[in-house]
This record gives sequence, C-alpha cells and structure tokens, in this order.
Amino acid sequence: MVTLVTSVLGLSAALVIVVLIRRDHLHVRYGLWWMTAAIGFALLGLFPTFFDRFSHYLGVAYPPILAVAIAIILLVIKILVMDIERSRNVIRLQRLTQRVALLEADLRETQGKSREPEDGSSHGEIDDEKS
Amino acid sequence: MKPLQATNPNKGTESSLPNCVVVIPAHNESLDIVSVINELRSVSSFPIVVVDDASTDNTIEKAEKAGAIVVPLVVQLGAWGATQTGLRYALKHDYAYVITMDADGQHKAASLPKLLEPVIKNEADVCIGACTQRGSLSRKIAWALMKRVSGLRLEDLTSGFRVYDRRAISKLSRWQATLLEYQDVGVLAMLKDSGLRIKDVEVNMLQRQHGISRIFYSWTAVLYYMFYTLLLSFTKRRFKK
Repeated sequence: MVTLVTSVLGLSAALVIVVLIRRDHLHVRYGLWWMTAAIGFALLGLFPTFFDRFSHYLGVAYPPILAVAIAIILLVIKILVMDIERSRNVIRLQRLTQRVALLEADLRETQGKSREPEDGSSHGEIDDEKS
Repeated sequence: MKPLQATNPNKGTESSLPNCVVVIPAHNESLDIVSVINELRSVSSFPIVVVDDASTDNTIEKAEKAGAIVVPLVVQLGAWGATQTGLRYALKHDYAYVITMDADGQHKAASLPKLLEPVIKNEADVCIGACTQRGSLSRKIAWALMKRVSGLRLEDLTSGFRVYDRRAISKLSRWQATLLEYQDVGVLAMLKDSGLRIKDVEVNMLQRQHGISRIFYSWTAVLYYMFYTLLLSFTKRRFKK
C-alpha cells in the first residue's frame, strides 16, 4: 500500500510539473529538476525492493533511513544551488538598478542644460514638473 | 584656505589639480545634505554627485537645488551599493579621482586636501580618513576583532571618508564588488588583493546631527553586521605561506 501511495504521489507531482510548465508558471530549466525528482519517487514506489537491496549492499541496517538521508542531501544541494543563483540575480538586479540610475542622472543633466537657456529653471524645478 | 579646483577635462576647465569628483551616498538625508554640499563648495569646486539611495524624503530636490548632480536609485542598495554607483559614474565620466563622504555631516570638507595629498602624490591608491577617537568601546572591540580576523592593518576600517584613484575606481566598479554589502573589510580586502596601496590619515570627524546610522540602527542589525563581516574577513583572508 505504501509503495502504491509513493508511486501515485510521484506521478501526481510529475503531472503538476507538466501543468506548471505548460501554463508558464515554471521555467523549463527548473522543471527538469522537479520532474526528475517526481519520476524518482514514482520509480521507488513501483520498485520498493531496489532500496532494500541497495541498503543491504551498503551495509545499512534500516533501508528507509538511507532513502531519507539521500533525499536530505539532494535537498541541501538544491537549496545551495538556489542560493548561488539568487546571489547571481542580486548582482544582476543591483547592476541594472545602478545603470538605470546613471542613465537617469545623464538624462536629468541633459534636460537641465537644454532648459536652462529658455527659462533658467533648475534641476529641482524639472523634477517638480515630472512629479 | 585655497579652494580646490575642479578639473574634468571633458568639461573643459583648467587647473593644476587632476579631475576629481565627490560622491555622497544619501538615504533620507534632507536635513543635512544642503549644508554638506555648501561646506564642500566653500573649500572646493569639484563636481558633487549625490547618489540618492531610494530616499522617501526630498533629498533629491534639495541636493539638486544645492547644485549637486543627482544619481537616483529606484531600489535601495545600501551605503556600499550607492557608493559603487558613484564610482561607476566616475568611471563612465572619466574622472581620475573619487572622494567619498557621508551625507550626515560627520566628515569635514576642510580635511579634503589632507586626504587627497597621498593619492595625488601617488603615494597611495586609496586614502582613508581615519578617526579612531569617534569609536565607542563596542566599536573599538569590533574593529580589533575585524582587524584580527581579516589581517588588514588599518586604523579605521569603517570610515566612508575616502579617496580612490583610477585603478581603485576601476577595480571597485566590477561586478565582484557588487556582491558586497558594506564598504569596509570586503572592499579593503579586494583592493589589497589587487596590489593597491591603502593609506590612512588621521582626520577629525563630527557627531551625526540628525537621523540614525545606516548600519548600527538596531541590535539585530549590529549582530548581522558583525557576523557578516567576520565571515567575510575570514573567507577573504590571504594567509601567508
């Protein structure tokens, strides 16, 4: 019964991943990881004796704990990869924010210079008009 | 005092001193920014760039009306993120030197010649205005700990009153420096690893008149800052063989 539940859960998760990718809620790149995990669950549910034999081969007395340990290791790796990607995105966002600010500064300076001969307005006045 | 002259070759001005820009990162500093700009104007004619770190008050309007060039960040990047924006501005506009100072009036413009001298004489690539008297006991303990862990031999690691030359500006404008949150240990370690010469000169600083520190605004923030800096100091340290 437990094996059936695990395989159904795995297949359901795979289905959810497919739907999320179809509806553009999940990038295919990240979908690959989750699809692999979901299929892995389904296969383990369908072939429960695999882990028993694998545990016996490694000398692990209680097979389920090996599955839990492997799952935790994979999750930790996944979270670390996510934080590495997040760091990269933080850099991108900050560089982009800085570039926009630099362009806006140039724009303010150019607008200020082009308006000065006409009405002598200061930078502050231009900003007031914009807001 | 003889006023320091602005000399950006792009703008066609002539003077004996090289081209230099003052960068002031500011977040909600509308009460002090005008006096800081006016004080700077009284001792130098360097262009002043105020990098507004997503202020919610009228820092931008006040800085512009006082004659500063404003670089407005739409997202708050913190003191170092804003300073790096100013360094990128200097790089883009071909300035040879950048002076960074706080917008809260703690740094005295009168100290500029003293701070600029070692960099202009090519005795250092970065000069830090150090004021060790300003530190409370807890700050001094923090400095000693950071110095010990990072291996940096400088008096005032946290001072934002600095002069950077072109090599330092170029190095600190790179994306690797964008990952840093504070301008102290990480920035100094990066400069040191690049073989740049860092010197500190003793200057006087004033007490903050308005507002609160952007780093030490709560005990949680202080704890975060300490753990962040200690981890960074340890991981970036170059051990001698």
